Amino acid sequence: MSLHDLFIGPLSYEFMRRGLLSAMLLGVSGGLLGCVLILRRMALMGDALSHSLLPGIAVAWLLFGTSTTALFFGGLVAGLLTAIGSALLSRLTRVKEDAAFGSLFIVFFGAGVALISRLPTRINLADFLFGNVLGVSVGDLRLAAAVSAATAAVFILFYRSILLETFDPVFHRATGGRGGLVHMGFLTFTVLNLVAAMQTMGVVLALGLFLLPAVSAYLWCDRFRSMLALSIAFATLGSLFGILLSFHAGLASGASVVLCLGAIFIVSALLSPRYGAVVALRRGLIPRRHP
Amino acid sequence: MGRPRIDDFGTLSPTVHSDQNILQFREVTVRYGRLPALRDVSFEIPCGESTAILGANGAGKSTLLRSILGWQPLASGEIRIGDSHPQHARPRMAYVPQRHAVDWDFPITVRGVVEQGRYPSLGLFGRLSADDRRHVDRAMEELGIGDLEGRQIRMLSGGQQQRVFLARALAQGGDIFLLDEPFAGLDLFGTEELVHILRNWEAQGRTVLAAVHDLAIARTCFTRGVLLDTSLVAAGPIAEVLSPANVDRAYRQGRCVHGHGGEAGP
Repeated sequence: MSLHDLFIGPLSYEFMRRGLLSAMLLGVSGGLLGCVLILRRMALMGDALSHSLLPGIAVAWLLFGTSTTALFFGGLVAGLLTAIGSALLSRLTRVKEDAAFGSLFIVFFGAGVALISRLPTRINLADFLFGNVLGVSVGDLRLAAAVSAATAAVFILFYRSILLETFDPVFHRATGGRGGLVHMGFLTFTVLNLVAAMQTMGVVLALGLFLLPAVSAYLWCDRFRSMLALSIAFATLGSLFGILLSFHAGLASGASVVLCLGAIFIVSALLSPRYGAVVALRRGLIPRRHP
Repeated sequence: MGRPRIDDFGTLSPTVHSDQNILQFREVTVRYGRLPALRDVSFEIPCGESTAILGANGAGKSTLLRSILGWQPLASGEIRIGDSHPQHARPRMAYVPQRHAVDWDFPITVRGVVEQGRYPSLGLFGRLSADDRRHVDRAMEELGIGDLEGRQIRMLSGGQQQRVFLARALAQGGDIFLLDEPFAGLDLFGTEELVHILRNWEAQGRTVLAAVHDLAIARTCFTRGVLLDTSLVAAGPIAEVLSPANVDRAYRQGRCVHGHGGEAGP
């Protein structure tokens, strides 16, 4: 198989061009958001949030059919309901926030699966859960472009607020920063990106596009700015190779993107010169001299 | 009292008028739900002195700092910040967090943290100017961390880590330095370093307010104290505040602990 067959061939199909572009665009915003997610230790919360989108999407599908706008708002409402609901639960009851989130999202997810299993149409539950690059419509691509551009713009404009709120929220608030606003904005953008990524990645796997590049970049970088840049690079590369892999090997697109990003992560975790496992083990094997 | 004027960090410099009270608490009460965390607390902090906030766990030390920063709604009373000095109409707070509140693995360098001190004055779209950089350089130099500017913050000793955050506060050009348990988690060497720095700041007439756990440290490096037991036990010169009777009241609530050693001290 020639290089042409590998890289250019797939692009002769329009759905491939759309799917690839959409995944790479969302790689940019997902790579950015992922950094904040992992640095604020919200990785698992993001995972819960992504699962909770399902019922909103299912209801929107039931009422409005394939309209991208309807799916988008359905997912958005479900995601925000979970976020706000668990915040309320943890404040009004004895239940702590992580337990509240965990309980609420699994109920939402269950409701979503139940709804979809009862849908009369020929749509496939697996496409919702794991993504299908064939299904990326022009509307989906537009949505991905808009969400990606908006996320990138927010990161450029509010870079310092985002850095402060992530690194030291107490200082941020003490110096007049609008911490609550940044936090809510962050949750909203996470939901927006998850919904936009749903078609190619699926609700279950979409978060991989956020977390894996960010956590890989975290293993290499000592500066926030370079972590963001490297995370974007990993995410777009992973999307590119993942979508091509899904085309050639006939795999679910979300899964193959996650596998490519997973490979980057495992290599980083093992081989990072300062924070990798190999270097840590070696350091352990060489006996330290005690003064 | 003639004290030297400190270097001009920012536009405001804490000039020295000990008769001016830069911070006044008037019958401040703060509640968490129905539990009072501070009860009818009134005291005054003179400009240019270092004050230790003292008390047992749960006595309201952190609540007091948080209420000065404005994150803790007051149930009643008022906190007046600023004095009649024209430069102190709206004094700026420089806050130094507790060590355990910091993620030391965060991808950020020493310089990156100190630069954050300039962020509040930049607004949303401003960029760091040459003047801002000079503030950052001077703050790092004063605290002796200039050589470490490119280091990731995990790669520092405890004392150096503490100095990074003090440098950020300096770069901010604050008028009141609020330190939340600055000695917590420091080793012996780090503690000595910090005592030295705070004594220097004291001599330079900087207004410092720190929550402190260790009474011995409070005696050696602060001139004034505020002793809490949700309500105010005593406020004033440190030696008077930490009289045996006051300490007993604040820490032991009148219980006898001298008996058979069954009960731990403060």
